[in-house]
Amino acid sequence: MQVTETIILLIYLVVMTVIGIYFYRRARQSEADYFTAGKSINTFVGAFAIFAAVASSSSLMGAVGSGVALGVPYFFTYAFGVIAILPFSMFLVSGQIRRSGVKTLPEFFKQRFGKSVQIVAAAVVVIGMTFYMVPQLTASGLIGSHVLGIDYVTAVIILGLGFTLYAALGGMWAITYTDLIQGAIMLIGIVILALFILVDHNGVVSLINDAMAVDPAFGDITQPWMSYFGLFIAFLWFGIISPSVVMRNFASRDAKTARRTAMWACLIYLTLFIAGFFVTAAGASMGIIDTLDNTDMIFVSVIEQYLPAILGGIMLAGLMAAIMSSADAMLLAISAGIAHDIYKEHINPKANERFVTGLGLVVMIIASIAGILIAIDPPGLIAIMVGWVGGFLLSAFGFPIVLGIWWKRANTMGALTGMVGGSIVFLVLIIGQWLPTNAEPIIAAPVSLILMIVVSLMTEPPSQEIQARVDHYHTHLE
Amino acid sequence: MASRSKFQDPGLILTVVLVMYSAFVFVWWPTDIYWLGISLVGWFMFIGLFFWFLLAIVYVLWIENIERKNDS
Repeated sequence: MQVTETIILLIYLVVMTVIGIYFYRRARQSEADYFTAGKSINTFVGAFAIFAAVASSSSLMGAVGSGVALGVPYFFTYAFGVIAILPFSMFLVSGQIRRSGVKTLPEFFKQRFGKSVQIVAAAVVVIGMTFYMVPQLTASGLIGSHVLGIDYVTAVIILGLGFTLYAALGGMWAITYTDLIQGAIMLIGIVILALFILVDHNGVVSLINDAMAVDPAFGDITQPWMSYFGLFIAFLWFGIISPSVVMRNFASRDAKTARRTAMWACLIYLTLFIAGFFVTAAGASMGIIDTLDNTDMIFVSVIEQYLPAILGGIMLAGLMAAIMSSADAMLLAISAGIAHDIYKEHINPKANERFVTGLGLVVMIIASIAGILIAIDPPGLIAIMVGWVGGFLLSAFGFPIVLGIWWKRANTMGALTGMVGGSIVFLVLIIGQWLPTNAEPIIAAPVSLILMIVVSLMTEPPSQEIQARVDHYHTHLE
Repeated sequence: MASRSKFQDPGLILTVVLVMYSAFVFVWWPTDIYWLGISLVGWFMFIGLFFWFLLAIVYVLWIENIERKNDS
């Protein structure tokens, strides 16, 4: 057991829980507050919050782990996709979705395509986000078992239930404000770590040379082209297709704040990944990747090697923070998907807000238990599991969202076929394992696109009212 | 109703720029050219990280400029 790290981690978790409880009362005041923090988050808080929600555990641990294991170009591919997330979603959908006035992604599908698409979308969100809990729980289990000196399975269960409780209590208010702290710790922590590494290796060039001396393939492309391209597009689209990121967009005070928030969050991300590059090189220079039980642990090894125990503890708390905030945003998306989009919309429209919020809480707990059960024996590297989630959501949602906003002629049948077809092709490719890792969306997303266009053109165009609404989305510039 | 053409939307134009740079990297794919021991593919992506942030700034300023013109 690492005593210093444990103490810091515990203090951290206690503080976060207190904040969660503080915002609990506020959150229970209304459903709008619970799910989107009452649309009153400002640029500064919002930038860190959106950053912390996008920066899942994999951004730190997974990217570095995969970069050390598969060569630094793999790490850069990860970053190349991830840093484009916010600009890309801002260019194509953010302003328009905001203009539409909806609260969640499935709600957008209902407004644009009707109930059937909304229900399928809510189901896809619940499946995708529940699986997305797995890499988060895997990472928290690895860190927890290392720091607390307990076995991995126990760590997964304890930490998983711990941060579920916290997320369930506070809704978006608690999550957004604690994200500010989490985002800041994560960023400052990795920048300090990068500085320690650079000083230790006497600069960037000699750091790269040190990595190369231990691992001559460090700078090489080691995987098939499809793996890189698939990973890139899965991340590029993440801001458009990930309900947790889309929900952050609605938490901003106004459209201008939302845009500035995304821009600054992009800068924070850029800083994180440049620092991450140095961490990856340091990890490679240690030459221990083959001795680790789990490649994703290399990040923790780098922290222990380069930072004093106290700073290391804070850094590990930052990592837990990353995991916690991502997991929280996911849990909220799952809970909104079922409580808000399915139950309140279709089963019992008269349900009072307290009941809907309470149902959301129960759903969160069930989803995290499902995630914990899978994470006990994780099916892959963190980076790869996150790539699967991105690829799945892209194959299901990517084109129904983008065409729904940009193409008036897209209709309900087209969206439904595109969504279901893309998801099924993706799942078949995952099960069949014919393609290189993470290459599935290269096939599944275009299938979804073609199905959506062809079926839309073969069936009746949407009503005039819907077509006028699509025009209305684009009046955000007027 | 939208009086501006969707094709003049800064978002759409910047998306085209983003796609073009990505296509440049993934189509050329210079795996065997190295600088400091790292494949040129990696360096193009590294440059791309800064380029993406630049595009985000351009978008925000461009839209705010349009909004100012609309207000006046």
